[in-house]
Amino acid sequence: MDKLDRLGWAAGLAFDAYGLRIGVRVNRPEALECLSERLPPGWKPSSSKIVDRLFSLWLGRPRGSARGYHLLYAGMVRRARTLSLDEALDTLESDLRQTVAAFSRDRVFVHAGVVGWHGGAILIPGRSYSGKTSLVRELVRAGAVYYSDEFAVLDGRGRVHPFAKPLSIREGALVRRCSAEELGGVCGVNPLPVRAIVLTGYRVAGHWRPVRLTPGQALLALLAHTVPVRRRPRSALRALQSAVSGAVVLKGVRGEADVAARALLARLGAEAPAVARAS
Amino acid sequence: MVTELMDEVLVYDLERHRAHCLNPPAAVVFKHCDGKRSVEDLARLLESELGAPADPDCVWLALDRLDKARLLSPRVRRPPAAGRVSRRDLIRRVGIAALLPVVTSLLAPTPAQAAATCVANCASQPFGTPCSSTAPANCLCACDGSGNCIGGC
Repeated sequence: MDKLDRLGWAAGLAFDAYGLRIGVRVNRPEALECLSERLPPGWKPSSSKIVDRLFSLWLGRPRGSARGYHLLYAGMVRRARTLSLDEALDTLESDLRQTVAAFSRDRVFVHAGVVGWHGGAILIPGRSYSGKTSLVRELVRAGAVYYSDEFAVLDGRGRVHPFAKPLSIREGALVRRCSAEELGGVCGVNPLPVRAIVLTGYRVAGHWRPVRLTPGQALLALLAHTVPVRRRPRSALRALQSAVSGAVVLKGVRGEADVAARALLARLGAEAPAVARAS
Repeated sequence: MVTELMDEVLVYDLERHRAHCLNPPAAVVFKHCDGKRSVEDLARLLESELGAPADPDCVWLALDRLDKARLLSPRVRRPPAAGRVSRRDLIRRVGIAALLPVVTSLLAPTPAQAAATCVANCASQPFGTPCSSTAPANCLCACDGSGNCIGGC
């Protein structure tokens, strides 16, 4: 038995998400209460005692001169050692999402924002700080249905499933969580075919004048943001190929997100008959 | 792994985890490059399938690109007699840049690279400041000095 296993864990929970079973154990039962909000979207409780991945959260308690650090482990790897419980929980929440994205067996996760629009999905792949969430927020304000601001979850047919965690909106150094409802929008429920893929990033005083990419270029661009491509290249490529086959793919820098969102929806509206024919 | 997308081809190298997107001229050469056809045969195929002028230099350019991407086995060397023509000269000769073979390559990301998520803001941070990317473990990224994050996972 490993040293970590001997620490005296008091409670735990197991859940299934996107084909992966994850367990979280804690040293104080009350810690489980704060966990339910932090679990990945679409999680379902599991009664199994065997899990694919195990996280361990040790809540510290100041004792004498000891400061009582909170500790978080992913398997046997220490992921956080902090005096702030929020920081430990934030790291756990992020780790859980990334673990699901990396090890899901039946879905392909692409780092992208997603909204639904007129029965199709608009994918906005990109790295952190490329402005995905800002564009998603403005698209939701403009009437699109919120699907995700972090991952596009693709099935084998290239359809996008919701991963509707609260939007993480950066305001200076802070990150504010905001639900789609607070923006006047709604969260999507049903999987959607991909209608558009938008490769863009914010540039000061940038103008949204996108060019269209070929399916091959689009697939390569999506591949750069596909989480499990090295582990499951065949299923990832199959899902991506299905996703790009009926989609309009646009690439270009953008300026302010609200302007770009309106222009994007207007353009997709204008291209709707062509898209319908292509699909 | 070879995936055909209309007239393009995407090749995924399972050993090196590199993806290569071949535009239509490169795809035609790749599909018919079987070790039996001559450069002239391939040039004629380019002409019949894409309407490109039957120029052996276009085929050699495609072979160079495919070889550089390690998509040919055994590796191909242009004979000294074939000479080397610049891409600019070829565009002049062919007329349309789209008829020149292009191979675009990408190193497939690790999960950390694909899903790198920063938890700190790079605004006003100097170059190289770690912005403490979170999971997966060992993923690190840093600020570029212009307010952006550059992944270094």
